Amino acid sequence: MTPEDANGHQRSPLVRISGLTKRYGNTTVVDRLKLDVGQGEFVSLLGPSGCGKTTTLQMIGGFVRPDGGKIELAGRDLTSVAASKRGLGIVFQSYALFPHMTAAENVAYGLEVRNVSRSERAEQVKAALDLVGLAPYGDRYPRAMSGGQQQRVALARALVIKPRVLLLDEPLSNLDASLREEMQVELRRIQQTTGTTTILVTHDQTEAMALSDRIVLMRSGQIEQIGAPEHVYDHPDTRFVANFLGKTNLFQGDVGQSKMRLGNLSWATPDATPDGPVTIAVRPEKIALADDGLPAKVSARTFQGGQWLLDLDTPHGPVLMQRQNVGARPPTVGERVCLTWSRDDMHLIREEAAR
Amino acid sequence: MSSSNGFWSLAFHTLFVIFVMAPIVVVCFMAFTPEGYLSMPTNGVSLRWFEALLNNKEFVGSFRISLALGAASATVAALISIPAAMAIVRYDFPGRTAFLTLCMSPLMVPSIVLGVAFLRFFSQIGMSGTLVGLTISHVILIVPYVLRTIMNSLGSLDSALDHAAASLGSSAWRTFRRVTLPLTLPGILSGWVLAFITSFDEVTMTIFISGPGTTTLPVRLMLYIEDSIDPLVAAVSTVLIVMALVVMLILDRLFGLDRMLIGRSPSDPDR
Repeated sequence: MTPEDANGHQRSPLVRISGLTKRYGNTTVVDRLKLDVGQGEFVSLLGPSGCGKTTTLQMIGGFVRPDGGKIELAGRDLTSVAASKRGLGIVFQSYALFPHMTAAENVAYGLEVRNVSRSERAEQVKAALDLVGLAPYGDRYPRAMSGGQQQRVALARALVIKPRVLLLDEPLSNLDASLREEMQVELRRIQQTTGTTTILVTHDQTEAMALSDRIVLMRSGQIEQIGAPEHVYDHPDTRFVANFLGKTNLFQGDVGQSKMRLGNLSWATPDATPDGPVTIAVRPEKIALADDGLPAKVSARTFQGGQWLLDLDTPHGPVLMQRQNVGARPPTVGERVCLTWSRDDMHLIREEAAR
Repeated sequence: MSSSNGFWSLAFHTLFVIFVMAPIVVVCFMAFTPEGYLSMPTNGVSLRWFEALLNNKEFVGSFRISLALGAASATVAALISIPAAMAIVRYDFPGRTAFLTLCMSPLMVPSIVLGVAFLRFFSQIGMSGTLVGLTISHVILIVPYVLRTIMNSLGSLDSALDHAAASLGSSAWRTFRRVTLPLTLPGILSGWVLAFITSFDEVTMTIFISGPGTTTLPVRLMLYIEDSIDPLVAAVSTVLIVMALVVMLILDRLFGLDRMLIGRSPSDPDR
């Protein structure tokens, strides 16, 4: 693996996607996408439907031919390599288990193709089923298994061939909520056990945040922001990112004379902040009640067990806040309160700068 | 029968079934008459007409020809239809709809027109009355049936199965052999059976193109009925009905008729 970048001492990434483009008719579904994925990394492509994330995955998998750009795996250009020669493990949204084969036969398929001897095949199949916790179910047919079990078989089938990269296409979207959480934990555990570089496509932000080392937020075929989940969550570059990743409150403020202002309230700004209008983002869980601050009136409150959700009206628009269900009861509907938050929990968004 | 059916609906269905079954049952009874003419009710049971049938070289020969013709044309039609169906279902190529319409067009042309056309064509090229000519014409006639059932069966497969196999390193041919073919086999077999029956049954077109050495069973029956009607015809019919029943039973045991004809089986509702 020879480093290709200018600074020389950085190792080249395992997967390198550059200028990747796909058009259907006049619509550009994926637009000059550039993404590097490091060895052992878990990266999620996250975005609303139609953002091009699935098309990107299909191009990596070799099922859709790109109109431009390159996909490299360990320095080797994959763009014109057939899907069957790429050696990637893929878990499909529908699982795509072969219905006429048992779980073990499904898992064995990739080994059979690779002419692995019968005894070694049996051993590896057993190990793979063990890894996903399905050791006793090898003889079952997929139709006799639950959605979660089918999902595990699909995962075992993809992992048994020891792929350089594992591609997951909305793997948890067909499971019910509680099973989905359980599988998230499982998926993370399995990925860390095997150390397989993984690219996940999902529209579920919780899933992306729970699983990934890095999130790639996509919108209209382009990357909106890349970063660690907590970074992207706390420092969204654009309003779109702020709204797509969790709930957020956006205020129209402005910056001038080294201060940022929202109505009567003002905070000191870092030196580099240029003057002009700005969007201030504050997450609902960072807002607290205080004696002094942004005046607000409670318009609705919702009990969610562990926390309360308060909808408030303020001079700067509606505000959503979360309050842990500890201590005193939250204010009731109609009550007037003041809202406050720490300077560190405010995030400034300038669309021009982000684009 | 579920209890949700009312009296009138039950009565209607009973009458309907009687109406459809009656001629078949009557023919089977008549085949066992000892008389020299079609009679019902009859005054005894005799296998005399079945014996006569077995000793009738023309009927036995025609029966063999029909079996061979049906099997050959259904097999050729299936071999043509498998790749054609895959092309139509899986790929979007220029002229796809035109190609499909062309394959289905024999359904839209009256058999008698096809018969006259083949008669002209085969006599021009010196193939009239040959078994090869008959097979070709039957293949063309039955391709729509086989193609349709195979297309249905392929269309109900998850396209991700192909991708899954490919991602595991499987070549296109291996994927076809290990995944696509086993999963469409019931569709292919039901198409084959449907095609066989259609070919075995075909009179309107065949009567124009079969020659003295290649008279199929239905054509032989037609010719026979033209000058005499006796219980031999009933005996032939009975043999055919019993054979059809046996084939149906075997298929039901092997694959489930529901799945073959409707494309799904009651035992796996999720497919």
